Amino acid sequence: MSLAATSLPRSRRLHLRPIRLAELSFLLFLAVVMGLPLLFLLTGSFNLSAPGKPAVYGIDNWLRAFTDSGTLSALGMSFTLSVVRLIPAMILSVSFAWLIARTDMPGGKFIEAVCWIAYFVPDFPLVLAWILLLDPSFGFLNSVAKSLPGVDASLFNPYGFWGIVWVHTSTGGIWFKVMLLVPVFRRLGATLEEAARVAGANTAVMLWRITLPVLAPMILAVSVLSFIRGLQSFNTELLLGTPAGIYVYSTKIYDFLQREPRAYGEATALGSVFLLVLAVLLFFYWKFLSGGKKFTVVTGQGYSTLRVKLGKWRYVAFAGCLLYVAVTMLLPLTFLVIGSFMRRYGFFNIASPFTVNHWHNMLSDPIFLVALKNSLIIAGTTAAGGVLLYSALAYLLVSRRTVTAPLLESLCWIPHVLPGILLSLGVLWLFLATPLRFVLYGSVWGIAVALILADSPVTTQAFKAGLLQLGADLEEAARVSGASWRYTYRRVLLPLLAPIAAAVGLMNFGSALTSISTPVLLYSHDSRPLAILLLEYSFTGELERAAALGLLITAIIGVMMLIGRKLGLQLAGSE
Amino acid sequence: MRLDNCKQISLTAVIMIGFVFSGPIALWAQTRDGEKEWAAVVEAANKEGKVVVAGSPDPVMRNDVIPKFTARFGIPVEFVAGRSSQIVARVETERASGIFSIDVFLAGPDTSANELYKDKMIDPLKPLLVMPEVADGTKWKTGKVWLADPQEQFIVRAFSSVATLLFINTEHVKPDEMRNMKDLLNPKWRGKISTEDPTTTGAGANKAARFYVQMGEEFVKTLYLDQKAVRTRDRRQMTDWLARGTQPICLDCREDDVRPLVKEGFKVLEIFEMAGAGPTINGSPWMLSYANKAPHPKAGQVFANWILSKEGLETYAKGYGSASLRTDVDESYLNPGNLPKKGVKYFDDTDWKWIVGGRHENRDKVWKLLKAR
Repeated sequence: MSLAATSLPRSRRLHLRPIRLAELSFLLFLAVVMGLPLLFLLTGSFNLSAPGKPAVYGIDNWLRAFTDSGTLSALGMSFTLSVVRLIPAMILSVSFAWLIARTDMPGGKFIEAVCWIAYFVPDFPLVLAWILLLDPSFGFLNSVAKSLPGVDASLFNPYGFWGIVWVHTSTGGIWFKVMLLVPVFRRLGATLEEAARVAGANTAVMLWRITLPVLAPMILAVSVLSFIRGLQSFNTELLLGTPAGIYVYSTKIYDFLQREPRAYGEATALGSVFLLVLAVLLFFYWKFLSGGKKFTVVTGQGYSTLRVKLGKWRYVAFAGCLLYVAVTMLLPLTFLVIGSFMRRYGFFNIASPFTVNHWHNMLSDPIFLVALKNSLIIAGTTAAGGVLLYSALAYLLVSRRTVTAPLLESLCWIPHVLPGILLSLGVLWLFLATPLRFVLYGSVWGIAVALILADSPVTTQAFKAGLLQLGADLEEAARVSGASWRYTYRRVLLPLLAPIAAAVGLMNFGSALTSISTPVLLYSHDSRPLAILLLEYSFTGELERAAALGLLITAIIGVMMLIGRKLGLQLAGSE
Repeated sequence: MRLDNCKQISLTAVIMIGFVFSGPIALWAQTRDGEKEWAAVVEAANKEGKVVVAGSPDPVMRNDVIPKFTARFGIPVEFVAGRSSQIVARVETERASGIFSIDVFLAGPDTSANELYKDKMIDPLKPLLVMPEVADGTKWKTGKVWLADPQEQFIVRAFSSVATLLFINTEHVKPDEMRNMKDLLNPKWRGKISTEDPTTTGAGANKAARFYVQMGEEFVKTLYLDQKAVRTRDRRQMTDWLARGTQPICLDCREDDVRPLVKEGFKVLEIFEMAGAGPTINGSPWMLSYANKAPHPKAGQVFANWILSKEGLETYAKGYGSASLRTDVDESYLNPGNLPKKGVKYFDDTDWKWIVGGRHENRDKVWKLLKAR
């Protein structure tokens, strides 16, 4: 049975004209905003002339990029790191999401809230916190270990392959995945699980045979997103890999972008590998989704969200989650908070090591208040715009399996495979080429539009996975009762999607507050957001002030998370 | 006869007096003209409302230079801060669409020479330098404003400091142990030397290129590969290693990062020169140029002049710790080692020919050498 056949209500097909119109509008819009910058960059990668000179085309840039010594070994290292990081992170994320959303484990909401906050803690100062903890010469944990009997040498070393894997697990390994997975796990009706129990399946069998296969679209989407994200990962490798001689693929792209004169052609050529990887992964993803499987978990018949009872193991599960969170996040976060109050981050042995000057200087900087206002406008617009745009797009993707659906979806993925600075360059070019440039270029609205575009893969996939869970009979029942399509969408679909909308909206809000590479070419003096201020502090080595600003951004996201989740859950009725 | 003599004497005296006073009078008139011209420029600049300056996001600019300029002229400064490569990419794309947003560039030597000048993004600055204390050649150590480009029109070099060769943490490395360049190759320091990654664009590669020219290929190979110099791309990481003594020899730490360490009491020593390699000077932190089709041409002109004035350069030089080329800037706050000495031959790391050619050629050789293993 095909997915289209199982999940498409007749009502959706009847409204062909408006939907067709919407589909064509989306196609045109995405082709312009996603496709054109990519086309511009790819064309540019074959241009051998200096900027401003008449174009001469050839393949020299590509040859230079791929014959540069170390490119292939860096690519191999990136793949290895991505795979090694992905497997344990996915196992842990699915376990966390299942425990939070599908079991009676106590403190699930607390663990979920911690995951949200953890995701938005800026990674740069956090990596430095891990260095303070693990460095073989002065690391706090190594010092503690050496005080134990029988331990003479340092036990930990962050500089190297496993150090990178560990720090990634801490800084973003599972938080992002748990955030996306929990809403879809929560949506899973208990009917299937109860049926499995009646048939004699234990919890493990039920999880393996029922829960995971039904939730496969989201788990796969998150895996694809994470894998490509892993390939593009850069900051941690720069700090922990360079001293150990470990270079990753993104470092090579970065190097080409930093050259003078800049080598955008070579950087784009290398970036095209991400496109290739994405194409392969998406092919298998679509193949899986269209392979006669059914992922509907919410129907009009007896929807129940009863949780699995873990018995005495629920406390063990909670303790395990707590331990993981404490070790991977609270420990470095504590160092980050302390660091923001230190005269010199991590130096405890200087005279009067603590100060509030960094916080005071940051809060009294006149640029700060302007940047805060800009950031809130940008993040709010990005969150709302992303939810509105991509919920509609996901609806189209799920409800219509026409020839344009794969094309639409491919266009949505483009921002995820372009290195941030190249995407920013493409968007800059796009803005400047349109009559709207005076409204968009250099304004907070332009940055918000660029961030909405950058959010398309995660937001669309999250909504798509959520929509795939909804049974067609819900809409059909509403239609039979005389409800219009618009009324049905507003009163039936949107409330059911509210938790996912709240989750991705908040995620986009947080990403907009912390994103650097997208606004870096688009901001002006009047539209400078907090993230650019953070970049400036980091660039000039003002690490303590950067830590303070990073924590402030995290606190803003924490507050918005509380408000947003409250709103999302209320929209959804009860959990 | 007497009368004739008297007339002659009187005439001669008048001529002599005229000759003696003509210089100062001409200078006075010139100064008056210069002041008038400068006042007219400032007035026109105020009408333009603001000036847009592009440069590196350093705290000196943000905290000291901009507030002082605005307080002096009442002209707000929009500062577009970022890495040179990002700024140039942005400006090029803007210009392709007919947008000209920047008035003044404060860019590094590489960007100034190899991008702004080469791609004709800047206008001659020389005719715009009309502020009396800037135009006055006696205020400059070089006898006039140093225009570094071949036409001596476009790019002003305002600084010339003796560059740091390396820093050591004296709790781990005694100053006597760092007298000769070959001391760096002592196996004792294997794994104890830090460097900004020399395999990518930046200060690390620039220094390696210089070593390649001054010390030869074998030295570079031994220093960076056999001595296992620890590489990083993060300047703060390198400075912290120096302070803790993890890597007590730092090849590429920056003076403005290390100075706070010294104030905190860390035993850090700046070394400018070692036997075996001549001392070096450079034009850090920036070179000044004036954008063509500047949107606020007069305000840009005022900023360009003011930043070269005593107040402007002193503010920057003090904050950054570089020796300016002005004669009237207070240099008492500088490390005496930073001040170039008369009669000493320096390797000029900001020399035009070196920036546009030699450095790149030698950097490529270094990359080939270091990436081969």
